[in-house]
Amino acid sequence: MTETIKHKAFIFDATRCIDCRACMVACSVENNIALNKTRIWLAGEGIMGIYPDLQRGTMVYHCMHCGHPDCLSACPVGAYTKRLDGPVEYDGDKCIGCRYCMNACPFGVPHFDYDKGIIEGAFIDKCSFCLQRVDNGLEPACVATCPTDALEYGERDELLAKAHARIAAHPERYINHVYGEFENGGTSYLILSHVPFNQLGLPTLPETPVNEVSEQVISLTLPAALGIGAVLTVTAVGVSLYNKNKEKASAQKEPEDVK
Amino acid sequence: MTKTISRRDFLKLGSAAGITLAVGQMLSPKVAQAARDAGHLNAAGDGTIPSLCEMCVWRCGLLAKVQKGVVVKLDGNPDNPHSRGNLCPRGQSGLMNTYDPDRVLTPLIRVGQRGEGLFRKASWEEALDRVANGMLDIKQKYGPEAIVFSATHNLSQPLFENLLYGFGSPNYGTQRSLCFNAMIVANLMTYGTEEPARNYSKVKYIILTGRNLMEAISTSETHDLSQVIDEGVKVVYLDPRYTKTASKASEWLPIKPGTDMAFHLALLNIIIGEGLYDKSFVERYTVGFDILAQEVKKYSPDWAAQITGISIETITRIAHEFAAAGKYTLAHNGWRTSNFVNSFGTQRAITALNTIMGNWGTTLFPGSGEGAGLGAPLQPPYPRVSALRLDGVPWKYPFVPLKLGIFQELREGVVNGDPYQAHGWFISRQNPVMSIPDRGRTLQAFRKMDLITTIDIIPNDTAWFSDVVLPEASYLERFDPLNVVGDKAWLRQPVIEPQGEAKSALWIYKQLGERLGLGEYFQYTDEEDYLRQQLAPIGVSLDEVKKTGYAQLPVEPPNIYNWNTTTGKIELFSETLSKAGFEGVVKWEEPPVPAEGQFYLLTGKMAQNTQFGTQNNQLLHKYSDEPRLWMNAAVAAERGLKEGDWVEATSDVGRIHVMLHPTEAIRPDCVYMTPGYGHLSKALTTAYGIGACDSVLHKTFTDPISGSQALSQTFVMVQKA
Amino acid sequence: MKANLTIHPRLRMNISPLVWALLGFMALAGLIALYRYAFGVGAISNLSNSYPWGFWVSFDLFTGIAISSGAFIIAAVIYIFELKEFKPMLRAVLLTALLGYIMEAMALMIELGHPERIWYFFIYQNWTSFLLFIGLYVMIYIAIMAAELSPAVFEKLHWEKSINFMKRLMKPLVIVGAVISILHQGSLGALMLIQPTKLFPLWWTPILPVLFFISAVAVGLGMTIFESSLSSRYFKRGLEVHLLSKLAATIPFILGLYLVVKFFELFYSGDAKFLFNSGTMSVLFWSEILIGVLFPMIWFAFKRNRQSAKGLLVGAVILLFGMILNRFDVSWFAVKHANSITYMPTFMDPATYFPSWSEIAVSIGIFSFGILVFGLAVTYLPVFETEDHAHGPAPETGD
Repeated sequence: MTETIKHKAFIFDATRCIDCRACMVACSVENNIALNKTRIWLAGEGIMGIYPDLQRGTMVYHCMHCGHPDCLSACPVGAYTKRLDGPVEYDGDKCIGCRYCMNACPFGVPHFDYDKGIIEGAFIDKCSFCLQRVDNGLEPACVATCPTDALEYGERDELLAKAHARIAAHPERYINHVYGEFENGGTSYLILSHVPFNQLGLPTLPETPVNEVSEQVISLTLPAALGIGAVLTVTAVGVSLYNKNKEKASAQKEPEDVK
Repeated sequence: MTKTISRRDFLKLGSAAGITLAVGQMLSPKVAQAARDAGHLNAAGDGTIPSLCEMCVWRCGLLAKVQKGVVVKLDGNPDNPHSRGNLCPRGQSGLMNTYDPDRVLTPLIRVGQRGEGLFRKASWEEALDRVANGMLDIKQKYGPEAIVFSATHNLSQPLFENLLYGFGSPNYGTQRSLCFNAMIVANLMTYGTEEPARNYSKVKYIILTGRNLMEAISTSETHDLSQVIDEGVKVVYLDPRYTKTASKASEWLPIKPGTDMAFHLALLNIIIGEGLYDKSFVERYTVGFDILAQEVKKYSPDWAAQITGISIETITRIAHEFAAAGKYTLAHNGWRTSNFVNSFGTQRAITALNTIMGNWGTTLFPGSGEGAGLGAPLQPPYPRVSALRLDGVPWKYPFVPLKLGIFQELREGVVNGDPYQAHGWFISRQNPVMSIPDRGRTLQAFRKMDLITTIDIIPNDTAWFSDVVLPEASYLERFDPLNVVGDKAWLRQPVIEPQGEAKSALWIYKQLGERLGLGEYFQYTDEEDYLRQQLAPIGVSLDEVKKTGYAQLPVEPPNIYNWNTTTGKIELFSETLSKAGFEGVVKWEEPPVPAEGQFYLLTGKMAQNTQFGTQNNQLLHKYSDEPRLWMNAAVAAERGLKEGDWVEATSDVGRIHVMLHPTEAIRPDCVYMTPGYGHLSKALTTAYGIGACDSVLHKTFTDPISGSQALSQTFVMVQKA
Repeated sequence: MKANLTIHPRLRMNISPLVWALLGFMALAGLIALYRYAFGVGAISNLSNSYPWGFWVSFDLFTGIAISSGAFIIAAVIYIFELKEFKPMLRAVLLTALLGYIMEAMALMIELGHPERIWYFFIYQNWTSFLLFIGLYVMIYIAIMAAELSPAVFEKLHWEKSINFMKRLMKPLVIVGAVISILHQGSLGALMLIQPTKLFPLWWTPILPVLFFISAVAVGLGMTIFESSLSSRYFKRGLEVHLLSKLAATIPFILGLYLVVKFFELFYSGDAKFLFNSGTMSVLFWSEILIGVLFPMIWFAFKRNRQSAKGLLVGAVILLFGMILNRFDVSWFAVKHANSITYMPTFMDPATYFPSWSEIAVSIGIFSFGILVFGLAVTYLPVFETEDHAHGPAPETGD
């Protein structure tokens, strides 16, 4: 994560979310999403425990707009780009529908139009950060409508400070961790929770982005190609020379033996 | 030219795959011009218009984003105190109500059997004439009281009442008795006001009895509760179900249904008994404290523990914690308090608890009156009505306000023909077929009708069983009278042209009124004229109000220590009740309990729906959990029942089939049905066929004091279908 | 049902039942493809947002490419190591590989969301994506193999100049082809590098490309043996047992190397702890190792097995089965996409996946196409001949 550029980000506070789904309806309307598709999902164990000792853990989530997006790394035609101010954008004009991005994303965010044929065009759909609102000074639709301020929007560093302050103010309420601060190299959807994050449906991820090994290995491609090529060429030349010498030698030795 | 209502009969609004443009709505004249004049829309027809939501009674202020004459997005109006910039899921889905492909967009006249759903389109002329002539006919033959008028309370209610009372009928049905009669009457008896205003800014300890604010969302109040929880305020929540509010509360008490009153009586017992109440407040502002103190002596914590299932330690601890917070406490009255016949008593206990804590003026304040400070068109006085009301108010039920009535008793009066037979029913913005308990009986009542007229925006169940359906414009398409919230009067104005032939209620009522010879009660030329007359006393122009969305009302200094009771004080003992032969002080009433093998049938709310009216909204349907019958997981396991099993639930009055949802989130002696489903109207193409209707099972009860229905007093048997 | 089909007086063909069947499968696959183009990928498959890749990727891409690795091995053996005795095998192996790659490209035309944009690999390029490299490798290598096979066509057409030109170009072409092939086989494994949290630790490792390459060599050799055995039976030609036995002799060393590298990595990274207590994953892993590595390694160590037609075939089949299982494990069986506690009633994607009949039918149809073309090529082109007629056995004579 670059420190100097301000990235737009979200906080989701699972202690405030009441699972009303206003965010989902708002997103569907704002972004004209088809009735059988959604960009925001509900995750989590839900109700946990045995009556009457119960607890509830749910989370709504959408694209995490990661700092080192795995979708961006994986897409062969570069259909994903990350704006300098954070949002990860998908460009359907380049997409070939290979669905490698769906493999790459550890959160399972990109969803594909399995029901669209060639003429309609099958594309990936994901949260686009409501750029049409955000670039005009409004909050993303989900944040703007949330009745309990479970969703907040702002600048990442400020939100991180806010999140940590909130944990410090109520250590008995929160798990002492802001999910997304470092996970997968840092995401722009930061999560606060009262229950372990895996109970919200979040994967346990290291601080290195999941695309790191892939990108390291791929940078070896050219050296490997040259190296292997060199080895094979040398081998070929060597073998060729050796065989030619051998032929010469045997030809010299037994000139009448022609076979 | 008869055919069943189908979505193809109506304005073709595009496919279900998204919000698509309404055909023919480009730059339409009237509304667009008005919006342009107000500065909301530019030449292309794009802009933002302030108005009011109507997806529930909270009526959040909204900002409607319009593009080329189509509503494309709704946002909360940051200036409106009920929304504060937010909208709940229903509010966000509101434009799908307007663009619902199943909308009624022309008047309809029945041609088939009642309940077949066969209608033909008619002109307004024909339909209105038909209704008016039919009503006059019935008036002539049977008297004006033979027409029942019912409407769920909304902003045009004064004009609806003009039809009712001008016509000369006393029979006024509202949804109130199915919802909060107990709360309102208790407040009237105690404070002389229907509902005090609640203020969360200073509260430190809250007891919520029901009032599932996190699912029965009232945007700003839900936000307030969430915020105070965030800040560390203690919230004790009583509910036999582990709702989403339970998951946010500091403490969830899975109280036995019907025993909320016992819990509060025990708190009164401890707080009064140990002298932890606000003595000076009680002395200055209340009457009847000594009687109350004497009465609650017997309601000890162990008495309450046995009844409620909550431990003595918990009750005692909460009483002490609550008392320690002094006037920074709030015992929330709740809203839908139609649980048990003793719910009125529960409400009296809650108001008593608030009173003795002296939190009036800190967390509770006088409520604002509706329409206070606004003008109204002149109208003559109503004619005298000599006929008795079919719902027994006030001759059987003296304490039920006439404006509230008892809806279930009204239905009973129609079925029984007692004291006379009703022959017509005029319904506006209401779905009594689904909402009144014991749906089978309501349909019986309908069969006694010669003329049923329904005003609605979609072909809901009541419309399905009607003779004439009149299309109201949806809330995004119409003006309504102003809505006073706090110190402002808020405007609902159309943001798009009404589709099809749909018209505002103000227009429909006036048209009908004139045909009924009641033109003098509708002295406004059109909706805007009505609004101007409302604004006249405060001297604000309608154009100004259209721009900002509200009019500022002159603020009067509140006189909060003044109550509109006979004594002028808070009445912990009500002479009025006592004289009428009821208990003047709150006194324990034993609720009925289910027999062996029966369950309490609970009802409640979900965030993605409003009662019976929104299940057809495709956006809400998209995000709704499938409606099922909840049963405690251990109990279900014992009976060999699994998730998704079809079960049959039977009460004394009905039977339904529904899918089962075993869950830990409910008491073992209860079952719960997701409300609002099981629609009968096949014209609701999204909602029809989904879930089952709990009204089929609900028995009819009436609390003699408040007239409240007792929805949880229905006990059911559940078995595999 | 044998039918005499006269397309042209000079081309009379007996259409055998097998060919009818193959044509039938192709037609079915074609119809399914049309349906897919009309109604979407979901209409003909069980792929979902929980499982974006499934049977096609495992079968057509991973397995198809692995079994095509024989080409670069044999080509390298002949033209780099100048072991000319293997020449008779070259064209058949090249043809197998070329068809394997073409079949993969055909599968892509069904599977991709936008098959009409398949050429976007050439104009939009993200160089951090292994899938880009694979896309380019496939297209380049098809060209190279076509070039390496072109002498067979030129012979038929008697274009001597072209034949001579290709002869000179062969060695550099083979080197380039080998480099591309090695990188390609490795890249297939590298495709999975980007999902370390989704591929079970017994398989995911940063050296996955290396493991894929090593096993690809073994698979290529195994496929060479398998294809030679089958075509010798079907086209009634001799089996070059002596050549195949030499190839088979290297297999134990290659598999041994694989075993060492694999287990060294498992212990080094600590993932060895998953070896025995991972339920189904353990079963799959050990099945791979036992069937695809240990058994062939030991089998081919015995000269007796290497020098009989039956022994060669048995060893090759088992090797292929085990290694194909490995490809399926890495791309499907050991991959967990679905977040099983995500719930949303309307949108819940199935948390499990099994291919639909139409998915399998598509692959069978494409495979049938490959077999059919192979048969046609063998019949009408000098595939089993080398450029020196005098040295090779005459076609269509038994052995």
